[in-house]
Amino acid sequence: MIRLIGKGFRTFSNWMSTYENLVAVYAVLGIIVAICGIIMVPLITYHEDQIYSKSINRDSPLDPYDRGGVPFTKVDIEAQYPENSPAAGYVTTYLTPFSWFIANNTPFLGTTIVAHPGGILDEILYNTRGLDTIVETSILFAAFAIASFLFRRKE
Amino acid sequence: MFNLPIEGEELFVLEFGDIVNYFSLYTTTLFLFATAFIIIAIIARPERQTDIIFGTDAVYTKEVSPDNLRFQRFMAIACGLATLGAVCSGDLFNFCLFTALIGITNIGIVAGVNNRYVLNAAYNYGIVAMVATTFLFGGAATALGSCGTLSIWELAGLGMVPLAAKMFLVLGVMGEGMAPFYIAKAEITRAPGAPYVLMIHVSSLLIFLRVIEIILTV
Repeated sequence: MIRLIGKGFRTFSNWMSTYENLVAVYAVLGIIVAICGIIMVPLITYHEDQIYSKSINRDSPLDPYDRGGVPFTKVDIEAQYPENSPAAGYVTTYLTPFSWFIANNTPFLGTTIVAHPGGILDEILYNTRGLDTIVETSILFAAFAIASFLFRRKE
Repeated sequence: MFNLPIEGEELFVLEFGDIVNYFSLYTTTLFLFATAFIIIAIIARPERQTDIIFGTDAVYTKEVSPDNLRFQRFMAIACGLATLGAVCSGDLFNFCLFTALIGITNIGIVAGVNNRYVLNAAYNYGIVAMVATTFLFGGAATALGSCGTLSIWELAGLGMVPLAAKMFLVLGVMGEGMAPFYIAKAEITRAPGAPYVLMIHVSSLLIFLRVIEIILTV
């Protein structure tokens, strides 16, 4: 009996020590956690007093990025720590002439945020949470550095 | 937050708008540890692996080309800086971003090795790291959707973050911090360019310690 358990354990440890199998192990763990997560969805409570709340105007051509407000005046933006962002609310939205043209003629500007530079600056993302955007671009930079190194390597 | 048992006393606060990084006794210890290993990566020379043919006098020494050396050192330092960011971040989403950056730079460190066997291990790790980002950012998104904030300062001690979000975060960090398993198996610690590989181990260890602190705090 003990010999059988030992043999089973050796087979298992041999299987585990092959690194190609670690992806499968992680996938099984992921499936278990995802199922647990889905089961726990009814237990997740929604807290009403949220910051970063926004009202969406579905009829606007800028949907869902329409933040309202008048250009060149201060707009009320909720920030977690308003004392750290004294300029919050001044840079609300900025449209290039091309973006303005798309917004006025089609209902699709909201889907083209990445298609043209300088289209829309999101106040929350770029003013109060600026470090996020810096780290995101660092990730892209690291990924491009690796890709170009592998591409240019002589072998 | 600083009256919770795990943190220790508050030492320094660094503000970036809504993202307020903090240094408690705990995170400062991790920060100094990572700094020490960045300095090691900067000043260390790569190890030249020596193979001895058994039964004869022949000895081979493998050279590390300057290109590979430069790239691996750059990636090791980038990985160290990402670790510094991850250990002192005061924001759940920011922590996830830095952890994803650690995963990418870990692949970069290994990519500098000219060895099919090692690159194969790096490819397998890359798959896990990619899948892990789903859980990582899913955890942060669940926390944001439920609590309406990502700031650890606001969430500390309230227990508002749902258990599912914490599970996702831990699983995501597990996937990103899985690199040492592949490294140990591919025997890259003895491969050319060895000192930079230390950074993979250090960063995995530190993000595990940090995620434990986060889920005990929020």
